[in-house]
Formats: sequence, C-alpha cells, structure tokens
Amino acid sequence: MKLTDLLNLAQKSLRANLLRSILTSLGIIIGVSSVITMLSIGSAAKEEVTNLIDKFGSNNLILRSQTSRGGVSLGSNSSNTLDLDDMKALLEEIPSIRAIAPQVSLSTQILANNNNWLSSVTGSNNDYFLMGNWSFESGRSFEDEEINSGSRVAVIGKTVQKKLFDTIDPIGEMIRINKVPFTVVGTLEEKGGSAWSDLDDTIIVPLKAAKQRLVGNKFPGKKIRSMTIKVKSSDLVSQTEIDIDRVMRKQHKLSANANPDFVVRNFAQFLNARQESANVMSILLATVAAISLIVGGIGIMNIMLVTVTERTKEIGICMSIGAKKSDILYQFLIESLLISFIGGILGVIIGLSLIFGISEYFNWKTNIDLGSIILSFSFSSFIGIVFGFYPAKKASNLNPIDALRYE
Amino acid sequence: MIDITNVSKEYNLGNNSFLALDKINLHIDAGEFVSIMGSSGSGKSTLMNIIGCLDIPTSGDYAFNESSVSKLSSNELASLRNKKIGFIFQSFNLLPRLNALENVMLPLLYSGKAADERKSLALAALDNVLLNDRVSHRPNQLSGGQQQRVSIARAIVGTPKLILADEPTGALDSKTSLEIMEIMQSLNKKGITIILVTHETDIAQYGRRIIHMKDGHIIKDEK
Repeated sequence: MKLTDLLNLAQKSLRANLLRSILTSLGIIIGVSSVITMLSIGSAAKEEVTNLIDKFGSNNLILRSQTSRGGVSLGSNSSNTLDLDDMKALLEEIPSIRAIAPQVSLSTQILANNNNWLSSVTGSNNDYFLMGNWSFESGRSFEDEEINSGSRVAVIGKTVQKKLFDTIDPIGEMIRINKVPFTVVGTLEEKGGSAWSDLDDTIIVPLKAAKQRLVGNKFPGKKIRSMTIKVKSSDLVSQTEIDIDRVMRKQHKLSANANPDFVVRNFAQFLNARQESANVMSILLATVAAISLIVGGIGIMNIMLVTVTERTKEIGICMSIGAKKSDILYQFLIESLLISFIGGILGVIIGLSLIFGISEYFNWKTNIDLGSIILSFSFSSFIGIVFGFYPAKKASNLNPIDALRYE
Repeated sequence: MIDITNVSKEYNLGNNSFLALDKINLHIDAGEFVSIMGSSGSGKSTLMNIIGCLDIPTSGDYAFNESSVSKLSSNELASLRNKKIGFIFQSFNLLPRLNALENVMLPLLYSGKAADERKSLALAALDNVLLNDRVSHRPNQLSGGQQQRVSIARAIVGTPKLILADEPTGALDSKTSLEIMEIMQSLNKKGITIILVTHETDIAQYGRRIIHMKDGHIIKDEK
C-alpha cells in the first residue's frame, strides 16, 4: 500500500472518533508545547546573561562601601567608607589589577535644549568606559587635564541624547546637571535594553567635577561611592578578590574576623549563578516535558490497543479481502503516528502562542528556536511510532478467521 | 481447481478437542456452481474457510489450482485471497466508515493498483451489480440488499477465479434473495466458480451440484 492510501485510511478512522483522537494526543500536545516554551525561555535567559556580562564587562569586580552594623548593606544610604587612598593602595599592592574606575553617582534632573530629563550621573575617569565595554559614537573621552582639574564636561548615553537633543548633534552643546552647566564632549554607542535597567540612560562626568559640583556634601574630601576593578585575566579574579579583602582590611584597620565596612561583588559570577539556577529550572522543566511526552505515548498505546480490539472484526474483513500482515501493521502504525504528529503540530502552535503570550504579558525576552521545534516535533513522532508499534503488531498478528468471527 | 485430500480440522476448546472436519475428500472443477448444505455444526463453514485460505487444515492436503496451499506463507495466502478468491458474507462485512465505492476499492488498495485504475474498476464492478447510483453512500445508508450487492462488487472487483458465499441471503428477504442469487448465477455464467454455503434448500437449488454435510463428513454429493 502506498503512504497516501495509508494516510487516507488513517485520517478516516481518526475522524470517526474525533474527540477520542484529540484527547489521545493531549499528552503529546502538552509535552511538545512545554518543551518549546521551556527551551525558548531558557535560551533567551542564557542570551540575556551573556549579553549582560558583555555589557557590564568581563573580569570586573565591584567594590562598595557597607556599614559594619550587622553587616547589612543599606544601599546608597549607607555611610561612604571608601576613598581615593584605598584605590591608590589597591593599585599599588595588587599586581593583578589592571585598572580601577572610582565612582560617585546621583540621580538628578538634566536640562538642555528646553528639554527636561531625569537621568543618572556618574563621576569617574576614562577607565570607566573601558570596563563597561563602552564605545564612542561621536566625540571623545575625557582629557587628562579635564580629569585633573575637574572640568565641567560630560559624555552622554544614547537615551539621554535622544531625550534631550533628538536629532541635533549634541557635541559642544550645554547641558545643566542639577543647574550646573556642563559641555557635552562625547556620545556613547547604544547598548540596548536589559531586563533590569536602561544602560543607555547615563551621563558620565569627571570624578572631580562630580565631587566638587554635584555631590560635594555626600562625598566630602577623598570619599567615593564605589570602585569598578578590572582584573588582568579571568583566572586571576578569585585571587584578586582575596587580595582586595586583605588590602582593604589593612587600609581600614580591621582584623581578619571583624565585619568589613566594604563588600566585593563579582558581577559575572552573580550572573553565572543566575544562569546556573536557570539551567536547573530548565532541566526540571525538560524532565516534566519528557515525562509528559512518555505518558502521552502510553496514552496513545492504550487507545490503540482499545482500537485494535474494537476493530478486530474489521481487521478480519481486511485480511479476508487480501490485506497482508504488513498492510495491517502499517495501517495502525500510521494511525498512531498521525495522532502524535497532529499532537506535535498543535503542541507547536500552542507552544508558540505561549511564548508570544509570555513575552507580551510579562515582557520577558523569548527566543523562538527552530531547532527546539524540530526536536520536539520529531520526538513526538518518534513516540507515536514506538508506542504505536505494539498495538499495530498485535493487530497484524491476528489470525484471519478468528478476527473475522470476533463479535 | 480445488483438490481436498484427507483434510481434517480439529479445534481445541479448553481440554476437549472438537473435530470439525473428518478426513474430507473433495474435488471441484473450474466453472462449477456448488452448494454446500448442512445444519450448524456440520463443518460446512470450516470447509469454506479452508477453501478460502482463511484457515489451515490440521491434517491432509488442500491444493488450489494444483498448488498446495499448506506450503504458502501468510503473505502468499493474503495475495491468493486478494487476487483469486472473492468472499461474500451473510452479514455483508462492509467497513462502516467507508462509502460503497471505497469499500469496493479496498481489495485493489491491497493489491497495489493505482488510484485512477482502482476507481474505474470499482465503478465497473458496482455497475455490474446495478448499484452505480449509490457509490458515495455509506453502508448504514443502504438497504440489506444494496449492502450485499456492494459486497458482491467488492468480491468481483479483483476478477477472482472463485467466489465463496457464506449464507449470502441469510439476512435478506426472499425477493432480495432472488435478486442476489440471480447475480450469482450470472457471475457463474461468466466462468467464475461459485461455492455457496446455505441451509436453505431453495437457495441451494441454484447450485448445479449440492453437497450435504453432517458432523464433519460429506454425506451426499449430488450433481
């Protein structure tokens, strides 16, 4: 028998029991749709993490101040314990550190070109651009003289540029940060959105300018908010963390077991940990999906066994008019394959709608991965063949006369 | 055409065994119209199933067209049923999901004929049984007589040498029975060998040879 004839016969008998056929394929539908959804979310999360590491820069450690009381960080309200002497000591004593970008920051109103925008302003040095993997779209970074004297110059991110200047070239234009005028000398290339914050909504000014003009009362003297520390290579990161702890304790005259007034964060490590937990979640979901597919397969087998029993007489008739064992085998095998195939198609459709719904409703990033669609689709067809084989074999092995006499 | 030599058929029913056929000898020539009569349990259906290659004898030899059937594989038996033998049953045995045309085309599907050839042959067969106006009706939309004509069309669509009819009029009224038997007679006139199993004497009279069976033996063979 030809495949088209087999398919035609199979679709006729499936349509004769339409509801049953759909219910039978439900396990496959759920399995396939969850595989696709899970892989899509998983791969999007993975991509997001890779992007974030890329955006924030790799091999970076962040050193922040932290109140010693109970060791609980109170965020930006905590007293600022870091200063430029700490930075100098770290640079001198730890050879694995390539560069340090000291930072102070504030969120404030920006005025320019009759536009008004709330943005975050960071005071730092040119290493800041290196560590954050920033590239310049136009203009330049700070000159040494500007850094040393605390000139009122600023580099702005893409979002700030769009909000304040729209299509006007901002280089050389004046912006007022907290009413203090600054001249724009450079614009940064767009990094794109992240799930947490808009990285392009940023303004960078020389550290000295920020301390003198913008946050003088909050960060008096040499005080700074935090440091971003670039390590020379990734395998030196953990040792550098230990070294930083040692040097900082010496600087702040803390004993080895005292609560530190600073904290070192490894952003890449944090992201990787997040990735790890995402992976565990993926494995869990994959297991659920696999179980669902197998249970779906067992459902198909179950129904096909019922069908074979129901149609025993019919099998006898077909054999009496010349159906070979193989004809009967294929006929039932194609039926179970068709159930799982249609279940696979419906599963793909439902999976894609779920992905679409999730990305719309939760505003999550999702990737539609063709590979995962093909994978789950072929796996569901495979399930159909595997679990359809036993009932089909049973049907084909019926004795013609016994089958014909069956009532 | 049919040579049955010392054929016995034994059924095992739990601990007891039941001898449905006891050393039967029978020869049927091509072109004959044979009626097999007997009460239920006489072994006539068993004999018919063995002739139709649906069942195999416990002992003895059965040769169809001078070749021994017992040596054939299940695929060869299926092919023999498909190409050389047509079956007509008391309960019609049509597939309920398929319409008349599709039912008639089914044997050709198994013999691997192309779709358009299947259709033209099936339409011709339905034409032969005067049912060309009911081709797209399902069995449950047809009367008993019409269903039996569909099943005759299905039996003859593969141009068989032999037609086996197991109580073909058993579920029909007498007028329809006559119509069916006339079709059978005309098929026989075209040279098809017909073996008819019945317990109705007047139906058996259509046969030019009547075999009477009882308890697994042939007790009378009148020509």
